[in-house]
Amino acid sequence: MTKQFLPFQFLSFSGIALHDIRERLGPNEKKLIIALRDRGGRIEEVAAAAGMDQATAMRSSMVLAELGLAVIREKTVHTAELTEEGRRYAEAGLPERRVLRQIAREGEMGLASAAEACGLDEREKQVAAVWLRKRGWAEFLRMGEETRITITEEGRSFLSKELPEEKIMEEMMGGQVQCEEGDERIAVLRELERRGLVELREKTVREIRLTEDGLKLLQEGLELSEEITELTHEVLVSGRWREAGLRRYDVGIPGAPCYPAKRHPQQEVIDELREILVGLGFMEIEGRSVESEFWNFDALFQAQDHPAREIHDSLSLSVPRRAKLPRALLRRVAMAHERGVDGSTGWGYRFNPEISARAVLCSQTTAATIRYLAQHPDPPAKVFCIHRVYRHEKIDYKHLAEFYQAEGIVMDRGLSFRDMLGYLKLILEALGFERMRFRPGMFPFTEPSVEADVYHPEMREWIEILGAGMFRPEVTRPLGVRHPVLAWGIGLTRLIAIRLGLDDIRKLFSGDLSWIRGEKGG
Amino acid sequence: MPTIELNLRDLCSLLGRKISRERLSHALMMLGMEAEFSGDNIRLEVFHNRPDLLSPEGVARALSGFLGLKSGLPRYSVGSSRVEVVVSRDVSGIRPFIAAGVVRGVRLRDEIVASLMQVQEKLHSSMCRGRRKGSIGIYDLDRVATPIRYSSVGPGEIKFVPLDFARELTPAEILREHPKGIEYGKLLGGMRRYPLLSDSEGRVLSMPPIINSEETRVTEKTENIFIDVTGTDERLVNQVLAIIMTSLGERGFRLERVRVRYPGRTSVTPDLSPRRMRVKPDEVNAVLNLGLSAAEIVRIAKAMRYGAKKVGGAVEVLVPPHRSDILHRVDLIEDIAIGYGYDRIAPTLPRVATVGGRLDIERLSERVRWIMVGLGFTEVMTYTLTNPERNFGLVRTEGGAVEVANPVSEEHTILRTSLIPSLLGVLRENRRNPLPQMIFEVGDVVLLDEDAETGARDERRVCGMIIGEGFGFTGIRSRAEALLREMGIKFEVRPIRHPSFIGGRRGVTVVDGASAGIVGEIHPEVILGFELQHPVSAFEIKLGS
Repeated sequence: MTKQFLPFQFLSFSGIALHDIRERLGPNEKKLIIALRDRGGRIEEVAAAAGMDQATAMRSSMVLAELGLAVIREKTVHTAELTEEGRRYAEAGLPERRVLRQIAREGEMGLASAAEACGLDEREKQVAAVWLRKRGWAEFLRMGEETRITITEEGRSFLSKELPEEKIMEEMMGGQVQCEEGDERIAVLRELERRGLVELREKTVREIRLTEDGLKLLQEGLELSEEITELTHEVLVSGRWREAGLRRYDVGIPGAPCYPAKRHPQQEVIDELREILVGLGFMEIEGRSVESEFWNFDALFQAQDHPAREIHDSLSLSVPRRAKLPRALLRRVAMAHERGVDGSTGWGYRFNPEISARAVLCSQTTAATIRYLAQHPDPPAKVFCIHRVYRHEKIDYKHLAEFYQAEGIVMDRGLSFRDMLGYLKLILEALGFERMRFRPGMFPFTEPSVEADVYHPEMREWIEILGAGMFRPEVTRPLGVRHPVLAWGIGLTRLIAIRLGLDDIRKLFSGDLSWIRGEKGG
Repeated sequence: MPTIELNLRDLCSLLGRKISRERLSHALMMLGMEAEFSGDNIRLEVFHNRPDLLSPEGVARALSGFLGLKSGLPRYSVGSSRVEVVVSRDVSGIRPFIAAGVVRGVRLRDEIVASLMQVQEKLHSSMCRGRRKGSIGIYDLDRVATPIRYSSVGPGEIKFVPLDFARELTPAEILREHPKGIEYGKLLGGMRRYPLLSDSEGRVLSMPPIINSEETRVTEKTENIFIDVTGTDERLVNQVLAIIMTSLGERGFRLERVRVRYPGRTSVTPDLSPRRMRVKPDEVNAVLNLGLSAAEIVRIAKAMRYGAKKVGGAVEVLVPPHRSDILHRVDLIEDIAIGYGYDRIAPTLPRVATVGGRLDIERLSERVRWIMVGLGFTEVMTYTLTNPERNFGLVRTEGGAVEVANPVSEEHTILRTSLIPSLLGVLRENRRNPLPQMIFEVGDVVLLDEDAETGARDERRVCGMIIGEGFGFTGIRSRAEALLREMGIKFEVRPIRHPSFIGGRRGVTVVDGASAGIVGEIHPEVILGFELQHPVSAFEIKLGS
């Protein structure tokens, strides 16, 4: 058996070595210990002895108690005082006592005449009757109109014996009486309180006394010295810090709140998504705020009378009014709309290039990816765009007229719809969503189309988060793209609002600095 | 997307089977519809390229195949009526096309009337583009004397009692006084003559696309119905008619064709014959990669209510007339995927080897954000949509900007040309918070540019702004300097005139001989204009070349 290591022998009962405890004592605690040397007692007495106010004494007592140097005992003290009536009886004797003496002297007599003889009024007569009966001091006999009373053995035995009530009332003639919890007299006082002779009040008092550890510390000696609160240049260079101790702080107290300058929470998520996409091998491309209807809609096979193109859906412009158009491509796109390509029926209407040239605020980042495909029709292509888009939308807690969208495409030989789902799964998992489901979707420029929902464990519901699909031949053929194109889009601002747990999406553009700095929640 | 209301019991009776809510809800979702149940009522959101699902009958038709209750092309009993519509030459410049049909032996129970009214209204607002491209009229055939004339009428030429009215009105009065005339009158705006449908006895059926006559109204006693769709697009009026007629066909009523005599040609409507489309399993598998055989494709296509059979190595598909959304083979292939079940398709990952990367401007922007945070500025993000008062007026500048033609509110009528007003706006929002406040934004302004393809271009900028005493010109200049130094840019600051700043306390930052931004103390007028009461200093610098 190896030698046992006993670290506790160096420790006080509270688990902290005594010399450490000494370090933790401020001057007030030290003064209090000295005051407690002679005797413990009520906090107000101890405070007076230590020469400090009660609140300071209480705070220091708590420190001592925490360090195991003192114990604080709380107890309830009952303070009793005679009422007006009580004081009268204390002087003249209780009514039942006075009648008892009378009938001891006179023998049997009428209650009324006994009371009269004792100088009792009508009410006191009633009180006397009640208590004589209750205490068994007298026997009552009803004779016609009159009640006659005679003394009993019990009564006789009390002629020379004092009641506890009488004893304490006498004591109270000198002033208040205080009883601690557990004192037998409390029951007597309560009885007197019920009779209305005494007023009883309760009060909590604290008593403090030193423990064994406290006494030990005191015996080893305490040094009372000056303290320094702030370590200043002057204190440092003068060497004063060597003599005077530096005030010990309660390190558990929280500091004043302080917030760092921060990047915007929305920007953080945007950058996170950007990092995910770059990691998946996507190259970023530029978007733009002002687009032509050609790139925003026509090139995406959205018929010129499509509801999304109406004035209540997208924001059209009065300045600038017209955009330049790629002539050759315009003709091919017009053909796809009017008569279709690759066996499609097309929309069967007259395409109007004037509409194509109209400038609009970009309503979908797909415009950017289509522009890219037109310039890079050969595989492979794997690009993404993050940009603001604009809608004709009345702004409220869940709708914005301007928000971020993220869009990506993958174009290569032999890509399939299953690959599309594969990418969606990767992206959603990278964004931290574990449960997802795919269901049919509808976009004018993709077929097949799919919507991806993710399960939000806190909101306990499925949230539509991503739309995707494979570009239609009517979209790709006019661009000269001969291979499948997988395309997906995320309403990024909405996703961010969900990620940040915002009830009101407007917060993201509100400029509420205290929210951005994290001083308050969404 | 359009929504329709339907009744669970009615839907089950159309399906001929009781289906649990859970099963129904899942099937609808996997067909692309979103259902919201409340009691027996179902609110259904339908894709707007699927007008055939705008009625409970159409929804039941799709569900019956998906749930395996029915398969293949829906069949309706279609006969010929002796009803004719004679189209007069004068409608050709107004509303040239009409398609019409007859439904016999109808029993108009409440839910059928409700469904008929709903599909009419939903088709009007979606596919018919607010009645512009097509408008539907439904009449009691037994109150009409055939043949029916489709012609035009002058604004004061005739009088008839429009639906829900008790007295006769002229066409002009209808446009002025009848609620539908007021709502849809703009569709006839500028026309001297209006379309009119009347019978051989001169009785008015309707004035498309505005209102029907009270006299030919359909009631619960109606047994035979006449339906017309007039419009500007012949393909569309035929599709709309087919959708309504086949919906009634799903109820088991007898459908009948009508001859429409145009000057010089005749067409017979509704044309309910399916379109033929041929698709090869290779093509289906190239898109879906599910390794489906021709037989499997046939089975799934039938479950999606197409006609389908193997022809050689290919599958010949018959597309029913109500499926106006099928433009190309890919539309069919999507339906094969839906029929297969989106929830059964396992995701795969392709081997596309590419190198990803950020845009240079985004990389630079991120660096700038970190430098600004390091300098103690907190980032804000604000709208590019603004208004001239804020963008120019309050900062005492002038200039051109991108202007919205159809703004939603007076607040958002142009795109910003500077970040400074945006940040001053943020300070105004935070004017009750403790000072100093140091904020920045890295964002786009949009500038008019005749050389740009669209007439405007985005420009990335950074704006830093401080409100509070003790910063002033030297305070903001030293921070702008720190930013440029960290970015590795050599620059100088020269005095400049700029009405947003205080004279003698403003300068332009010049990089490589070209102006790249501005720095200075904001003018007191501007500060007070933004309801601020403390000094503000700012810089705004262009990022990128």
